[in-house]
This record gives sequence, C-alpha cells and structure tokens, in this order.
Amino acid sequence: MRIAPEAKNSPLLGRTPSGWRWLGLLLLLILALLLDLTAGAVRIPFRDIFHLLFSRSGGDDTWRFIVDRIRLPKACTAVLAGCGLSVGGLQMQTLFRNPLAEPGVLGITAGASLGVAAVMLAGGSMATLYAIKELGGSGSWMVTGAACLGAALVMLVVLMLARRVRDNVTMLIIGLMINSITIAITSVWQYFSNPEEVKEYLLWTFGSLGGVSGNQLLILTIMIGSGLAVAFLSSKMLDALLLGENYARSMGLTVERARLVIICSTSLLVGSITAFCGPIGFLGIAVPHLARGAFNTASHRILMPASCLIGTILLLLCDSIAQWPGSQTVLPINIVTSLIGAPVVIFLLLRTKNLKVY
Amino acid sequence: MNSTPLLVTRGLQTGYRSGGKKTLVSEQLPELTIKAGRLICLLGPNGSGKSTLLRTLAGLQPALHGAVEIAGRAGLSSSELARQISLVLTDRVGGSNLNVYSLVALGRYPWSGWLGTLNDSDREIIRRSIEAAGIDALLERKVHTLSDGESQKVMLARALAQDTPILMLDEPTAHLDLPSRIRLMRLLHQLAREMNKGILLSTHELDLALQVADEVWLLQSAAPLQMGEAPPQPGAMSQPGAMSLQMGAPEDLVLDGTFETAFEREDVSFDRATGVFRIHPAGKRTIRLSGSGIAAFWTRRALSREGFNIREEATTHIDIEEQAGRTAWRLRTPNADRQYNSIAGLLEALNDPNLS
Amino acid sequence: MSRNSGNPGILCLSLTATLLAFACGQQHSPATSSSGADSTSSSAPAATSPTGSAADPGPVKYAHGFRIDHHGSYRELSILNRAAGRTDTLHFLLLDEGQTPPAGRTGIPVIHTPIKTMTVLSSAHIGLADFAGAADRITGLGNFQYVNSPTVRAGIAAGKVRQVGIDGSTNNELVISMRPGVVITSTNPDAAFGQYKTISDAGIPVVPDAEWLETTPLGRAEWVKLIGALTDKENEVGKKFDSVEKTYLALAAVGSSARQKPSVIIAMPWKGVWYTPAGESYMAQFLRDAGANYSWSDTKGIGSLPLNVEAVIPIALKADYWLNVGYVDSKKDIAAKDQRFAEFHAFKTGALYNFNRRVNDIGSNDYWESGLVNPHLVLADLIRILHPDALPTDTLYYYKQLK
Repeated sequence: MRIAPEAKNSPLLGRTPSGWRWLGLLLLLILALLLDLTAGAVRIPFRDIFHLLFSRSGGDDTWRFIVDRIRLPKACTAVLAGCGLSVGGLQMQTLFRNPLAEPGVLGITAGASLGVAAVMLAGGSMATLYAIKELGGSGSWMVTGAACLGAALVMLVVLMLARRVRDNVTMLIIGLMINSITIAITSVWQYFSNPEEVKEYLLWTFGSLGGVSGNQLLILTIMIGSGLAVAFLSSKMLDALLLGENYARSMGLTVERARLVIICSTSLLVGSITAFCGPIGFLGIAVPHLARGAFNTASHRILMPASCLIGTILLLLCDSIAQWPGSQTVLPINIVTSLIGAPVVIFLLLRTKNLKVY
Repeated sequence: MNSTPLLVTRGLQTGYRSGGKKTLVSEQLPELTIKAGRLICLLGPNGSGKSTLLRTLAGLQPALHGAVEIAGRAGLSSSELARQISLVLTDRVGGSNLNVYSLVALGRYPWSGWLGTLNDSDREIIRRSIEAAGIDALLERKVHTLSDGESQKVMLARALAQDTPILMLDEPTAHLDLPSRIRLMRLLHQLAREMNKGILLSTHELDLALQVADEVWLLQSAAPLQMGEAPPQPGAMSQPGAMSLQMGAPEDLVLDGTFETAFEREDVSFDRATGVFRIHPAGKRTIRLSGSGIAAFWTRRALSREGFNIREEATTHIDIEEQAGRTAWRLRTPNADRQYNSIAGLLEALNDPNLS
Repeated sequence: MSRNSGNPGILCLSLTATLLAFACGQQHSPATSSSGADSTSSSAPAATSPTGSAADPGPVKYAHGFRIDHHGSYRELSILNRAAGRTDTLHFLLLDEGQTPPAGRTGIPVIHTPIKTMTVLSSAHIGLADFAGAADRITGLGNFQYVNSPTVRAGIAAGKVRQVGIDGSTNNELVISMRPGVVITSTNPDAAFGQYKTISDAGIPVVPDAEWLETTPLGRAEWVKLIGALTDKENEVGKKFDSVEKTYLALAAVGSSARQKPSVIIAMPWKGVWYTPAGESYMAQFLRDAGANYSWSDTKGIGSLPLNVEAVIPIALKADYWLNVGYVDSKKDIAAKDQRFAEFHAFKTGALYNFNRRVNDIGSNDYWESGLVNPHLVLADLIRILHPDALPTDTLYYYKQLK
C-alpha cells in the first residue's frame, strides 16, 4: 500500500510542515517588528533605532523615550493582541464549525464595550469621576477594569447558557442576541450623553495599541500568556471537535467540558485585549484562514502557533500603516485592520473554488 | 469466536427526557448481546427508533431504564467507552482543510498522546485500517471533495483506526449506489470475521441484511398484530407507542413468520418463499405456467407484475422450453399456439386485447 | 429666510464626519473670509448698524458669530452659521411686547423683549445670563449636573427651575408647556436644528449660542451682549463688557510683552491621540496673550488638532508648564493614567496647573460657566502661572496647581 511520504511523519493530523515555512514566517515577523518600530511621527533613522534597542545608554534622550517608552510597548501590545485575537478566532471557528466565527461572536467584545460605556457614558460625568476618585479608583484603570468586568459578566452568562444548550447553532444565536442587547444598552446611554462623552466613547471603539505600558503591559502579558497556554493545551480537543459533537463524544471527548474550557480561554484572551486596547476586529476571522491556507493542515497543534505568527505580523503591519499620516494624526487601529481584513476575507472566499470547504 | 459477549443490555428501555417529560421509544427490551466476530443488523421501519437504540448502546444518549454492560461493566466513562465502541454515523463531516489521512488518524484519539502525538504502533494501526477499508488512493484528498461512497469508506477506516472490539454503524448504506452497498456489506462481514469485531449496523436494506447478518434485531411497534386486526395507519409509528424487538438468525425470523407479521403492519407483504416484498397484489387473470429453473422464476415475476395469477386450471398455458441453448416461451391459448423469444414479446401478446 | 430644517440624524452624521475629518488629518478651517486668528487684542471689523440709535450700545467688536442691528423701532439679531464652510444666517426680530413686525420683514421669527423667562441648555448660557444679571429668568435648564450660579441653584432648590434634558433628549413637551421667552441651545446652528423644530414650530424662539466657535476669549465673552439684547439690558451689559475688555487688554499687553516666554503643553493624550488646541482657537489666543511659547500657535483651525502622540512627545518632555491637564486632580492621578507622564519635565518640577479650582459640590466646574464671561480673570491666572511676580497678587482664581 502506498502511503504518502509526508504522512509517515505526521502527528495526529497533517504533515509536519517543512521548516522553511516557519523560518519564513519568523523572518517576516522580525521585519514587521522593525517596520513598526521605525514607523512613527518622529523620524528616527534606522541605525539609531538599532543602537537604542541594543545599548542601554547614550543616544538622544527624546528618541530614547520615544523608542523605549512609546514604540516598544506598542509593539509588544501588538504581539500580544495579534496572538490573542488570532487564537481566539481559531478556537471559535473550530467550536462552531463556522468559517465566519470570530472572537466576538459570543458577545465578549460587546460585553467589554458595555463596561466601558457604563463608565464613560452612564456614569461618566466629571461628578462621578471625582466621586470615584475619592474611593481611590482612577482614570484609565477604571475604564480597563470596567471592560474586564463587562467581558467577564458576559462570559458567565454565556457559560451558564452553554451548560443548558446541547448544540452549537443555538450557542451562536445566543451570542448574536447578547451582542444585540449590549449594543442596544450602549446606544441608549449614548443617546442620553453629551457630545464630549459620546466622542470619547467613539474614540475608544476605534481601538488603540498605544495606551498600554508598564504595569498594564505586565498584566496583559500574564492574561494573554495564560489564555494561550490553555488554548494550546486544548489542541487535541479542538482536533476532535472538527468531526462534530457526535463523533467527538464517541472518541471520548466530554463535549460540555471542552466547550467550557474553550469559551473560558477565548473570553480571557479577547476580553483582556478589548479591555486594554479597545475592540480590534477582523484579525479573529481572517488569520485562522490564512494559517490554514499557508500550512494546509487542520491540526491545531500547528495552526495555533501559525495563527500567532501570522496574526502578529498582520497587526504590526496594520500598526505601521496606521502611523502613516505622520505627525498629523494616527489612524485608529480598528479601522486599519478592517480595511485590510475585509479584502483578505473576500480574496480567500473567491479563491476557494468549493465554498463547501467549511 | 469468543463466546463472552462484548456488550450486554439489562432491562434496557430507550427514550428521551426533555424538560422532565419522558418519551418512551422502546418498551423494555430483551437482553441484547453483541459477540465478537458476529455481524448484527438492526432492522425496522423508519421512525421505529433504530437510531435511538444505536445511540443508547453507543453511550451517546442515556437510556430511560436499565443498563448497558460493556466488557462486563456498566456505567463506563466517555473515554473508556471510546476504547470499546467506535461509530460510523450519518453526520456529514469535513471542513477546515481536513485530508483523508488526517481524518483516519483522528480515530486514534482515545489512544494518542496529550497533544495528539502518534507513535509507531499508532501509525501501523492507521495503515492497516486504510488497507482494510481500501482507501489507499484517497489519502491526500480533501475530505469535502469525496463522493458519498468514498466518504463512507473513509469514516469506516477512521472507526477501524479507533481499534475497538465493537463497531456500530448507523444507516451506512444510506446514500450509496447499489454496487457500493453490496461492497460495503461484504466488507463489513469480512471485517467481523477477520478482525474478530462485534459489528452492529442499522439499515433498511432487508435484502442485503438477510444475506450478510449473523443475527437480526427487528424493531416493530409494540403488540404484534392479532389475527384479523387491521394494521395501524401509516404514520402511527411516530406516536409514542413503544417499540418492541425480536431477535434471531435471519433465516429463523423468516421461517417463523416474524418478518411477515412485522411488515404487514406497514401494509407491505413479505414473501418468505422468495425473500422479497410483494409489490403487486394478487392478479385477476389466471394463467398456467410450466417450466423450472431461473427462467421460470423470472417469468413468474413478470406475470405477477402484469397482474396474472398462476393457477393449474387456467385455460392459457405458457411452457418454457430450452431449445439449443436458448429459451423459448410457448403460449397456448384455446385458439392459438405461438412461440416467443423473449418475455417482453410474451407479455405483449398476453396483453393484446385480441388474444383468444 | 435661510433656515434649514435638517433632521436629527444630521447631528450624528456631522459628528462622525467631523471625527473622520480629524482622523484623516484634515483640519477644521474657518469658513468665512473674516479675519481669523490675527484679530488679537486689536480691533476687529465692526458690524455697523445702518442707522444709529440712542439705544445702540455700540458694535459687536470681537464676536464673529452674531450681530445686533438697530433699525430704529426694532432690532434684528443675526446668528451667523460659519461651521463647516457654510455662511447662512439665522435672523430674529427683537420687538417690544405687542409690537408687530415692520413691513417687508414678515416671516422672520420674532422675540418679544424683554424676555421674562428662558430655558438654557448648558451652563455656559448660565454664565452669560449671570453676567447680564438675568440668571433669575432661567426657568428651564438642560442638565442639573452642570450649574454653579447661586441664583440658579437657589431656583432649582425652590423648584422654580425644571430640568429639560440636553441635545437629543430634550423634552420638547416640557419645554413647550413652560412657554419660555426663548430657548438657548449650544449645538451647531445648522446641525441639530431639526430637533428643535418642534419647539420653534410651537412659537417659542430657539436661539443657538455658538460662542464656542469664536476664536478669541473676548469674542466668546461678548455673547453676553446677546442676552443683553434679549433682556433689554444692552447698555448695562455693554458697560460691564467694556470694563472686562479694558482689563483684559491691559493684561494682554503685560503678557505678550514678557521677555521670557515659557513653553507650554495643553491637555493629555488619549488612546494614542493628543488633542491640542489649534492656532486659531481661543485657547491659543489666551496663550499668546499670556506670553506663552505654544508650539502650535501658528497652525490653522479653530478647534483641536488630533496629533500623533509621538509628534507631541519631544515638546512635552521638555515643556516648562503643563496646563489644562485633564480630568485629574493630583500628580498621583496623572501618573496613574500613564506612568510615562512622570518623565515630563513639567511633571518633575511640579509645574502642573488645571482649571478645576472652582468645582462645586455637585462636580460642576465654574470655569465653564463664569469663566466664559471672565476672560480677564482667566488671563490673569495664566499670567500669574507663567510669569510669577508679573502681577501684584498671585492668588489664582480658576486655576490651581496640581500636587
């Protein structure tokens, strides 16, 4: 019997991709990183950036501040967000066996937005802000905290419902409804707010990688790190879910528990990113498809790291593009990812000759 | 053949529980056993609860009452069950870029490492399953590009890769064309014998089942018909009247009339002499037929289709004669005596209104 | 008459369009050809009245957004809509009680002066009314959360003032049932006019206050003359304004002639964007008059520039003073917003000043209310901050140092 030669070396699924692909992606990652560090309103020559990165003293003070305290944290945030959103999207697409699923499909992103709106719109007058200040809370931590709370709340609701719901189509619809409810509540608050508050909230919805540094970056790293670890350990479960719940069950997977774990890790990833950076769209949908195309496999053991790499590269690229208007202003990251992501998705769909691939 | 059963049911009753309400699908079933090396066919009309029974035995849904013992134990966990029973269902599978080899390899799920890593013995089992199912040529194909028949074989290979003593299939022949159906049934019979598996499959294919099954489980609606009782209306099966199950060797069930009774409820009559279902009611016109062998058998069927009743005392005779290796039909009516070379010609003549 | 009846959706659209315009680096440019940022303390083109009248207190000198023309027996109030490149005008006839519109001027909305009651939608309007001594005529207020004037607060406590809601959520029925002499709104004259159509259709005049579109502090403050016209107190208000003007100009002379002009940064970044006043905004004018070195003083635009944080950082790191810091009250608050702010020179030296000294118990900041009509006090604060010892006293009124 002839077995395809690659099949001899395969793990559970798929052939081991040639090392070249990984190498190529790593190279692209480094390039994207350097590009992102170079792009910015202040023109810093490439050589100087190198120097600033690798020697801890000397160099222009202002430039050092910009590279160390502004661009580097931003790039780190991009890496974390790129990984988190892509892996979240991958898990959702597998769990729901739906190529259009993305991390926000369960309403987690909407929940985070709800928390932020609660702070900025419903309670956001200076009076409340000053009042809360007396209690010790402050500024951006409040917004971040509220977003985390909102995301966690929605996650709990989703988990409770997930226990009582047997199949995934129902879960998808429930997610859609949660999205609608949170958007409706947010709209009501917007309606009753003054223009400044509405504008501030609107700015938040455009997303930004720049606001995370220091302690916030540390916390984000921990949260993303944990989420990614759980997700990676779920690779085998996700592989089984590719066959649908009945087969997965027959192979020994406790589908309910798997669903819980997947929802938890995705919520952690997406909730924390939304809390710190605002909603960033399209990466979650597009990157898993790109990863599947690039590595031509369905094995999650391979797709997860691949999605991390590709997602990071894409987000760094988008961030570089967002800096493009120069000193005038910076394009909101959410808009750039959508502008890039939409054509990618369309291109993928057109290229797939058989739309029943999924 | 091992005589210790792989699976035994005790006092099993299948059904659904939803919102506190219990819907009974089967009444209390007799003790069912699956033994190694045997192929069991689960037969029954649509809606009779075949799928429910199969899913209950496989552990996909809980029984209303009773227990299923596998390898001597009841209440196995999901992962223990996965090492005892593998399934081939009617679920459509295959998104996300899966290729055939990967799909088959997924069958090793209960045995593979924590990240899904395979070792050499895993790969050997996969190789053997691929060979047994005969899908060597399909390995690099994407699952969504397979035809129904190919897809079925791939799912079978996956189930074989799971390397369990018991294999259960739910309507495996559903979307296949006739040659594929036959090949699949033959393959299953072979697998039962050669790999010493206990195979349970549910099907409508009475014909093939009768030829291939070592044992038949026949599901029918509760009380068998009494003499003179009118069969229930079509669709009565969907009411929550519980199903009952008869089992035995297929030939026994034919000879003792179980098949006939079971299908009479469907307003369909089963002819135990020929092992087929009679489509046509008894004819009005009478005719006498003499001849034996294959030609006689098929002539009888053709006549039955045309609405003829075969009687010794009829006035029209048909004689089947072998002449120089070719068959000829001789039609003798009171006023004529003609010969035809084909059944079609014969029938045309019989249907001629001017026949005398 | 050039009044448009838009629809409520246009507010959202114009907000979005404005934001998109910011995002793409477009800048808000002043619409009309009237002199823009260059009208500092020197005289601005005056809107002349065709026929003088004894009651005419003089031209509107600094404000570009409105005109009061005296036509003998009546006056005409014109509100110019200069936002987003438009140049249409809203007209109102100011007539005495019982007076009929003169021939040839029918069809223009009429306001019978002096108005006895008014509904105002923002605390800036309260500031204007208070200056004119007409705060007691306010019977309706947009939002009770934003009010500092003791008169109005007493009115609220006594139940004489009702809350009517702001902008999109204004309770039309309530306003109509109160039948105020006039409703003063703060939105863009054209943008949301549709939403006030209900009220104006009911015969209640709706006058938009566009003082926030003015490019000079005096121009903003001069809108008190509008209230003066509505309450028949033009002379009183005119005199009071003249005194403010004189003080302001004197201070501006001190400030702009200072030898050392310290560098200044305004506001704080949010989500990677640093909104800082553009060169033709009133804040930039304040800074020029206070003798500050403001890096964006020469830019175009009357609003804020949405700058890339990186573009501001080189200046922020070295700036001498950090003013109008934001919704913070202490150094700790600032550092909590972002640790990187602690690297700013102004943070290290403590040269942080915010205009939240006069925030009352309900959280309303008087800077936005009386600060509007006391530009001389604001300017004095700024000079005291930037040039200590330039003025005899150094107590700040609206500003306070953040510790």
